[in-house]
Amino acid sequence: MSDMNSFMQTIDKPRPMETHTINKKLPGDLAMWFFILAELTVFAILFITFAVTRQLHPTMFIEGQSQLHPIAGIINTLSLICSSYFIVLSVDAIKNGLNLKARNNIIIALLIASIYVVTKLWEYNMLSDAGFGISTNTFFMLYFFITFFHFMHVLLGMIILMFIANKSSQAKYQKNNTAGFESGVCYWHMVDLVWIILFPLIYIIA
Amino acid sequence: MTKMNATISLIVLMSLTLTSVFIGFFMSDGILLNNGLEIWLILITIIIKGQQIVDIFMELKCAPRLWRALLLSYVIIIPIIIGLIYWV
Repeated sequence: MSDMNSFMQTIDKPRPMETHTINKKLPGDLAMWFFILAELTVFAILFITFAVTRQLHPTMFIEGQSQLHPIAGIINTLSLICSSYFIVLSVDAIKNGLNLKARNNIIIALLIASIYVVTKLWEYNMLSDAGFGISTNTFFMLYFFITFFHFMHVLLGMIILMFIANKSSQAKYQKNNTAGFESGVCYWHMVDLVWIILFPLIYIIA
Repeated sequence: MTKMNATISLIVLMSLTLTSVFIGFFMSDGILLNNGLEIWLILITIIIKGQQIVDIFMELKCAPRLWRALLLSYVIIIPIIIGLIYWV
């Protein structure tokens, strides 16, 4: 009988997976997620605009794409992905109360992200030297508009990361109070998410 | 999110990026792939990469179902719309 009671107590206890399911929590602040959704919607409109316009002017777009630097696009993609990886490590650190470790991971992420910034500026400079600008044709207008719009988001993301790195270095985040940290981090991942659609759309699919 | 999961996700993301570049630049000459198949393969890599970022990097796998569904639907629907536009 005591074995039976023991067994019943065991199955009545919530298992780790069940507890996990019950405690589903959105990382960061709700407002940031609405902001992320709004940003993603804007980018979705731009992506669809690019695809539709490409179908209307296929020759112009193929010629335009041949002037781009795919190696720069690959470097940018890898730098954003690696940067996001270190951001994930920083979240893991902050949840364990390791503010300094989190800060260090963010600094590494920022250094890797700066590769994106330098590469993008180099690419803009190369295209400008070759005589291509926003008024060249519809392809370059959309190319510069979409990539520069994303570039601005990367810069804003880096500023946000610097801000949370600064707060981490002052040990302002606690184990149970990481919503602000997670909000900034999710914004950065949104920038990454947009780029993984943008890169093949503009550079690869010809 | 464990470090192991994030590392696996990083490797998947980098591999798929290089795979999509390979498909786009070396297999799109109409000999190995035609009828726009390479476009769909590239779009599939986008969907898998998006799922990795949403579930692993953004940690939405453990978030309320609505938010995970919203973000996942974005990385699935947008590539499909792009594919349909290019296909038509």
